[in-house]
Amino acid sequence: MIADIGFLTLLLAFLCAVYAVVAAIYGIRKNDDRWVRSARNGLIVVFPLLLLAAGLVITALVTGDFSIAYVSHVSSRGMPTYLKVTALWGGQAGSLLFWNVLLSAFTCAAMLTKWREQKELMPYVIIVSGMTQIFFLLISTFVEDPFTRNVVIPPDGNGLNPLLRHPGMIIHPPMLYLGFVGFTVPYSFAMASLMAKQKGDNWIHTTRRWTLVAWLFLGLGLILGGRWAYDVLGWGGYWGWDPVENASMMPWLAGTAFLHSVMIQEKMRMFKMWNMFLIVLTYCLVILGTFIVRSGVISSVHAFAQSAIGPLFFGFIVIMFVFSAYWITVRRDSLRSENALVSYLSREAAFLYNNFLIMAILAVVFLFTYYPIFSELFTGEKGFVGPPVYERALAPLFAALVLLMGVAPLTMWYRTSIQRFGRAILWPAVATTAFVVLLFIMGVRLWPALLGFWLVVFSAALTIMEFVKGTRARMRKGESAWTAFWTLTARNRRRYGGYWIHMGVLIMAFGIVADGIYQTETQIRLQSGESITIGDFEMKFNTVTRFPGADDLLITQADVSLYKNGEFVRTLTPKIELYQRTGQPMTIPSARSTITEDFYVILVNWEPTSADAATFRIFLNPLINWVWAGGVIFVLGTLIAAWPDREKAPARSRRSVVAVAGD
Amino acid sequence: MADVSWQNTDGSLTLEKPRRNRLMFVVGGIVLISAVVFLVVNAMSGSTQLYKTVNEFYADQGRLVGRDLRVSGWVIGDTIQYTQIDAHNSRLEFDITDDLTNPAGQRLHVVVLNEPRPDLLQHEAQALVEGHGDANGIFTSDPGGLMLKCPTRYEEMDPAGHPDSVPTS
Repeated sequence: MIADIGFLTLLLAFLCAVYAVVAAIYGIRKNDDRWVRSARNGLIVVFPLLLLAAGLVITALVTGDFSIAYVSHVSSRGMPTYLKVTALWGGQAGSLLFWNVLLSAFTCAAMLTKWREQKELMPYVIIVSGMTQIFFLLISTFVEDPFTRNVVIPPDGNGLNPLLRHPGMIIHPPMLYLGFVGFTVPYSFAMASLMAKQKGDNWIHTTRRWTLVAWLFLGLGLILGGRWAYDVLGWGGYWGWDPVENASMMPWLAGTAFLHSVMIQEKMRMFKMWNMFLIVLTYCLVILGTFIVRSGVISSVHAFAQSAIGPLFFGFIVIMFVFSAYWITVRRDSLRSENALVSYLSREAAFLYNNFLIMAILAVVFLFTYYPIFSELFTGEKGFVGPPVYERALAPLFAALVLLMGVAPLTMWYRTSIQRFGRAILWPAVATTAFVVLLFIMGVRLWPALLGFWLVVFSAALTIMEFVKGTRARMRKGESAWTAFWTLTARNRRRYGGYWIHMGVLIMAFGIVADGIYQTETQIRLQSGESITIGDFEMKFNTVTRFPGADDLLITQADVSLYKNGEFVRTLTPKIELYQRTGQPMTIPSARSTITEDFYVILVNWEPTSADAATFRIFLNPLINWVWAGGVIFVLGTLIAAWPDREKAPARSRRSVVAVAGD
Repeated sequence: MADVSWQNTDGSLTLEKPRRNRLMFVVGGIVLISAVVFLVVNAMSGSTQLYKTVNEFYADQGRLVGRDLRVSGWVIGDTIQYTQIDAHNSRLEFDITDDLTNPAGQRLHVVVLNEPRPDLLQHEAQALVEGHGDANGIFTSDPGGLMLKCPTRYEEMDPAGHPDSVPTS
């Protein structure tokens, strides 16, 4: 029953999306508003239909309806209810349906909130966003139908791999999907502005918050994925430059370039063509990323189902790329820059360098990710590029980007006086150099670390100076320090939200440099009562116990005492949880986390025959928590930048406010 | 920002020597692109690995012995052995193959030194190992070179087929 209603719902949603696109085209051709309104309604109704379909899948998962193949594949009777619900996005068919739900939610929201404001664009927005919706519904309805029935109904399902039972892994996919899907809205408005022959940057103003929100979710998805890897996989790291990770990072990079580049268009009426290209690139990378993740064309440590959707995705990318290229070419006259760069040292030049660096990073990641395909194409042999190659090639580019993050806000539009620029950076440079000399005296001797710390601290100092200068200016008007600081951000959310984002990224960068260069790793077998010294820490092994846990678990837990500089700090309990039914072990690290370092220990091996000895792997990760703390600040900064203004100003006056704020 | 003043008050700078400026930016762009190309070539030089299946390794073993490789295959559960040699040294061994349903299929013996046994190392797991093979069919993993495919989605591939036997278009 559920399967039949579910399939019919999907089919109806697909037909509604097709109708919406056809009706919008007809309405535009006949210049008949009734058809366009009908098209809008057709696209809006897709959302409740897909919500119903998703609700049916969740019902089947929660009630254990194993007559549906997807349910038996991704859930089992013993799973907790919250895991059964989240299994909606645990498998191929369900996650594609979930993707469809989110896409229709975004499209529906755009239709409802922008219909009156952007009446000229909306018929074209229906066509472009409808095309994306049709493609994904085509797959969900006819290729990866989540309501397909089992020929033989199994008594129980496969269940969920224990490694995925982590909060980070439950939230991580929806965050990435929201990010991916969110970029469809700015792309649709960009294409719609070309199709409607609309000049100017109306589409940019209209979709700025949508872009920021999509960018935020994608960034959050990347951070959560890293946190899950750190907590669960037991290798002491968080990023492995795997193709699947890169597939999510690339649209985020393109989106970052776009968010910076649109500011030049808003202020200087330049780079219009480039911004169009960037939003098309971001959208195509979203689809390409989904294709990579689900097709298996690139070797990855992530296992994915193989299905017939690979060629379909490839075909869709080609269609959308040709579609976008056609409209950009046809409307190229309206995309000409109205100004030219006049100086190497100006705000617009700084944005140009920013775009160059981000695109260079993106190009390198793209080349290395797809290197197996390129090498096979040109040499006949499949090659592979490992993390050290990525790090060697990208470290100088990231370093330059970090430097630019600090100095770019000091520049002015058109041209900046080099003398004033020099004076603005002099004292932060002196203070940063003094700080790095102090680090050298304290024992930091590796030049990559010293250089990395110098760049990050210098940029952070310049960013903090921006806050100090702005706060002081407000204090001169009689505000208290706290009020001045608070209103500075509240009144200039876009600019100071951006600086908060920069601070978050710089704090993350500080942690990445420290952990990347100074992480230590040791594996040792200890007898009960023996200890090992690592840096300032001493770890003493006490005992191992084995006991049954919930959900058929057999838990083997070590008890170790941690001392720092001779003083007891705390007891750590690394353990191995064995899911006896499936035979799947899960190593649970135990860590003592502080702002300065993580003492991270995993129980590697313990044999019951030698109860008084166990093997441990120990990581000392300096400043690792700066990575996560920076991530939190990054998210808060993006929320500040994206937060709606209290009073909605008319479009023209708002534009001038934005221009002043960006000065 | 308050320290730096506007330099253009009448908008005339937009017309200032546009051709020369354009040339400067083109030359600057070429220099920067060359620098990125250098970084890429320098990073890749001698550091790329060849990607092989077990059968491909044996088919060209003479040439591939000693080379930096990334080999993939299915883990044969019965062959997994973890030995703690002494306080600091351990040895993890197992065989991988391209086709688990073919008992006569070729196997590669993987040796991993001083690494923990990964949770995902089980029968039918898909392994990716970076390291070097020798003439006797023993493949020694680089430090941190053993990766087991992470179950990002519930679905698993068919162990009868190789992980990379999927068409690439």
